[in-house]
Amino acid sequence: MARADLVREELERCGIEYLVWLPDSETRSFYDTIMKSPTIKLVQVCHEEEAVGVHAGLWLGGKRSAVLIQNSGLLHSLDALRAFTMDMRIPTLLLVGYRGYHGMLEGKKPVDTAAVVLEPVLDALGIKHYLFDTDEEVENIGKAYREALAEEKATAVLIGREYD
Amino acid sequence: MIIRPEALKVLAKHRTNEAVIPAMMAAWEWPAYSTRPELDFPIRILMGHNAGVGLGVALAHPERKVWVLNGDGSQLMYLGYITDIANARVKNLILFVFQNGQYEITGGQPIPLEEELDLATAARGLGIKNSYCFDDLAEFEARIPDILRQDGPTFVNLKVVRGGSVKTPKPNVQETIRSFMAALQSGE
Repeated sequence: MARADLVREELERCGIEYLVWLPDSETRSFYDTIMKSPTIKLVQVCHEEEAVGVHAGLWLGGKRSAVLIQNSGLLHSLDALRAFTMDMRIPTLLLVGYRGYHGMLEGKKPVDTAAVVLEPVLDALGIKHYLFDTDEEVENIGKAYREALAEEKATAVLIGREYD
Repeated sequence: MIIRPEALKVLAKHRTNEAVIPAMMAAWEWPAYSTRPELDFPIRILMGHNAGVGLGVALAHPERKVWVLNGDGSQLMYLGYITDIANARVKNLILFVFQNGQYEITGGQPIPLEEELDLATAARGLGIKNSYCFDDLAEFEARIPDILRQDGPTFVNLKVVRGGSVKTPKPNVQETIRSFMAALQSGE
């Protein structure tokens, strides 16, 4: 099964009804797959921080949603994450494209610092993060989502390589 | 120019079961006039995002109208929300932006372009075709019943005078979340 379908099925198992997102290179083929989902609706935004605000509104409205953005977009979103997830305690699952992850592992000179700073920034905000790199790790999405709900906070799943 | 609390009183008079999400000065003032506080979600702890919260609530509850009450400096930070709202084609959302040309909450420093800023035209260009601008309370009061009845999304820019604000006590965020969610689910 293609990785995009694995993720779609895992999100459907979690009961996710809305995915608020801004496209990125790690998730480019995911769009076509998620469009086929009978239960998940996509909400596109212009800026990653806006994804957090729309997600917060969906949650307040009683819907199950998640945020799908790239690592540089996560960096854009910090103040909204602080307010909505730390101050308001709105459970938030962040699916974050880990652009540059494999290059970083292989010791290649990074194109930019988005991969290098991602985990330290999440750690600084107290946002627990899991990796989704091998297909078996798709279960981390459900695990992170349940943890976000139970502890009323944000959790992140870092997507190590592109969907196919 | 309009006195902001006077415009809020007009909206309060027309409100039935709309969810209202005010930010910045409107978040301080709206509770003084609101008749359905359980359906209010005032945001005082960050700028710019009440339009996004409004979009989420509007998507979650298409049967209920949602009014977002924003400030000009706050809206200017996240103009993209206007396109997000237009793109989502939510018929049940009205975005009101009070324009006083300043960051009133931080001491009255000017926003870029101040009163020159044409937010109603910007909103139209960003995708919300039903876009209005008022600088006269009587005209606003005369036109608002029709505007509230029409399908959205709708953008209403209100040119308001600086200052004259009414302060209300700071609400408990967790209690506000609980009562707002329960009121939305009740369907009343």
